[in-house]
Amino acid sequence: MSAATDGPLLAFEVGAVRAALPLRLVREVVDCPPIVPVPGSHPHVAGVTLSGGIAVPVYDLRRFPTFWEARSAAASMGRAGQPRHLIVVGYGEVLVALLGAQADLVDRLEPDLSEAAGEGAIRREFIRGMLKSGALSIALLDSERLFASLGVPADGFRSAREDEGEEDPAGR
Amino acid sequence: MKLLMVSVGAGRYAVAADAVAKIMDPALDPGFRREEDADEAVHEGTRYPVVEIEPGTPGRGLLYLLLGRGENRALMPVDSAESIREVSGTDIAPLPSFIFAGARRPVRGIFSDGRTPRLLLDVDALL
Repeated sequence: MSAATDGPLLAFEVGAVRAALPLRLVREVVDCPPIVPVPGSHPHVAGVTLSGGIAVPVYDLRRFPTFWEARSAAASMGRAGQPRHLIVVGYGEVLVALLGAQADLVDRLEPDLSEAAGEGAIRREFIRGMLKSGALSIALLDSERLFASLGVPADGFRSAREDEGEEDPAGR
Repeated sequence: MKLLMVSVGAGRYAVAADAVAKIMDPALDPGFRREEDADEAVHEGTRYPVVEIEPGTPGRGLLYLLLGRGENRALMPVDSAESIREVSGTDIAPLPSFIFAGARRPVRGIFSDGRTPRLLLDVDALL
């Protein structure tokens, strides 16, 4: 599995592996702000944070078993320190955030053509291609497939303030 | 809108103040009775369902809020009721529906409140 990149990438650690997204999708990377757990949300939703008055759902891919190869899930999901960065991504009209660590801008990556490329912990369906940065392999994520799999609609929710809707925010 | 600020465990929530008919302290209210972990409680001879923000992870239940009006009422245990404050609707961000695992969506918004944001409960979803 290999891939040419279409511009710079933002690489980050998720679990024990290094992954990347196209920088054009990334709105901002910030140190983890307070994240509020939401009762009734999916297990892979770490919570919600406020960014510029907008509720941004925060996803923890370590808690998303579908993302991981079954054989490596336990090791990959468990072998990570605390994510220190929040990677805020614009997906259609939706803002979502991923928890990650060691976020870094990378460019001029070469396709990883080694036989072992793609034989990692992340399931192949979520990988657009494997890239190489020095000795490190980086999985370029398929953002559309990933966010669709997380349940994020591409255009089904417009990030907004409550007063822009007609409903009573208190549900009365 | 006027919101009652409450806490359950580590969770900090707000509920529309006009949706709260009464705040009860079981230790001080002889008309209140709930058997341990029962899903109903009796207050002044009337039986009400007990609703929890997150079923299975109840707080200490030091206080109970009587929510709703008319026949559509329920009691919700909370650890504390801190204050009633006016919060503008423009300060409340709605939560996206796609983050919820099921049809039950007990929270509908979030707003800034000191160092950590606070969640706005959806009374209709709780009742």
